Amino acid sequence: MFSLSSAYITLDVKLGLKVTGRGALTFKRVSGTFFYEMEQDIRQFLDNLQPEFDLAWRITTDSYGYMWIIFEGKRIEDVLAGLTTISDIIEEKGFSDKLLAAVFEFSSVREEGRGGGVSQQYLIYNYKRNNFYPFVPLGQKTTDAEQQMKIMATVAEEIPFERDMTLWYPLWDLPLRSLV
Amino acid sequence: MFAKKQPWQKRDAGLTLRMIISFAVLSVLYIVFLSVLAYVGVGAIAIAVIAGILILAQWYFSDKIVLWSTGAKIVSREQFPELHDLVERIVARNNLSKPRIAVINMRMPNAFATGKTPKSSIVAVTIGLMDQLDQEELEGVIAHELAHIKNRDVLVLTLASLFSMIAWYMMRFGMYGGMFGGYGRRDNQGGAAMLLILLIAIVTWIVSFLIIRAISRYREYVADRDGALITGKPSKLASALLKISGTMKRIPTRDLREVEGMNAFFIIPAISGDALTNLFSTHPPVAQRVKKLMEMEAAMS
Repeated sequence: MFSLSSAYITLDVKLGLKVTGRGALTFKRVSGTFFYEMEQDIRQFLDNLQPEFDLAWRITTDSYGYMWIIFEGKRIEDVLAGLTTISDIIEEKGFSDKLLAAVFEFSSVREEGRGGGVSQQYLIYNYKRNNFYPFVPLGQKTTDAEQQMKIMATVAEEIPFERDMTLWYPLWDLPLRSLV
Repeated sequence: MFAKKQPWQKRDAGLTLRMIISFAVLSVLYIVFLSVLAYVGVGAIAIAVIAGILILAQWYFSDKIVLWSTGAKIVSREQFPELHDLVERIVARNNLSKPRIAVINMRMPNAFATGKTPKSSIVAVTIGLMDQLDQEELEGVIAHELAHIKNRDVLVLTLASLFSMIAWYMMRFGMYGGMFGGYGRRDNQGGAAMLLILLIAIVTWIVSFLIIRAISRYREYVADRDGALITGKPSKLASALLKISGTMKRIPTRDLREVEGMNAFFIIPAISGDALTNLFSTHPPVAQRVKKLMEMEAAMS
């Protein structure tokens, strides 16, 4: 996943996509003492972030029963480090099969012909496939396929990339609102 | 895994069938005709010459053959004024001859160019292409086809086929004509040698087939690049390619959290037929073409 720490520069230079500093990790919530203990470990880590990690954070659960740990920071390296630490905790406690994905947010100013304005675009890291794929939502339940292909064309050699487009599953209603 | 056949994919079978029929008929004609000659005892050199003539005839009539097998119809300015205008704009700016323009009545977006010389060539587009692409994307595709014409790709590929075909026929029928004095005498030694020659002929043909495919793929990259230089908008050709290849329709809309339970899809890596199809394909993979075009776009800005 750390290959993103150089690829984000390529995305900026070639596609004008800028990191917003927001990233998140999501895993499936289950009941039981072991899972509860792991949750406590995660919370303890989050409570003690400063000063080592300059990150704001938030926890939420969605309607699918997935837990989200959301970070916002000035440096993408911090976000990557924070997410990696959390996934390490989850793996150490034996819940790596519950890990679903990590998400990294980018924004760009859209061209005039496509309605103008700022658009949120995402790179999703799939823990089960250990690779990245693009996600550019457009309104309700549609994706900007052309832009997603452009993202692939830009960074597919730099980061492990999902070449099979039938596996580019969206994550609708991402809880990545601004934290600061 | 959830991909239903789109309606236009089903109708494509008709086009494929026609193309297969036309090439099969040609191949059978060659084989039958040349077998007859060999049987009768015509020498290998004569066969080579005749094969050459046949292939040149094929090239000479290539326009008509292609038009028939694709169902393309030449159209006048009155019938498709905007299309003619678009083509004229590009040829005028770039010092190219204006080709004849043909339209294919199909919903599937596609385009091709054919022609013996840049002065007598044809660019064909489907109705579906004109519907689904915007002006700039259509320009990009037409420029790509004009680049094929400018680079005389039809001639290049026909020549490549010509030499490999001649080599094959010489090998194949030389053993009847030259070496063994014509049909008739056969002994054990002769049989083994014949088999060996046949084997060599087959290998030669397979290798030249693959080489021709590789040349064809290379010429596609060149046409992409030259077409993009003509329009100055490589990313528009890239998005046209994506639309034409129907690539974008395969991206799912179901949420990752919904399908996560189907573990099988994630544990078993998708078996990639890619490597094999690439070897046999006349066109490079869309993703590669898009990537190169995006690199051009980045270099231009």
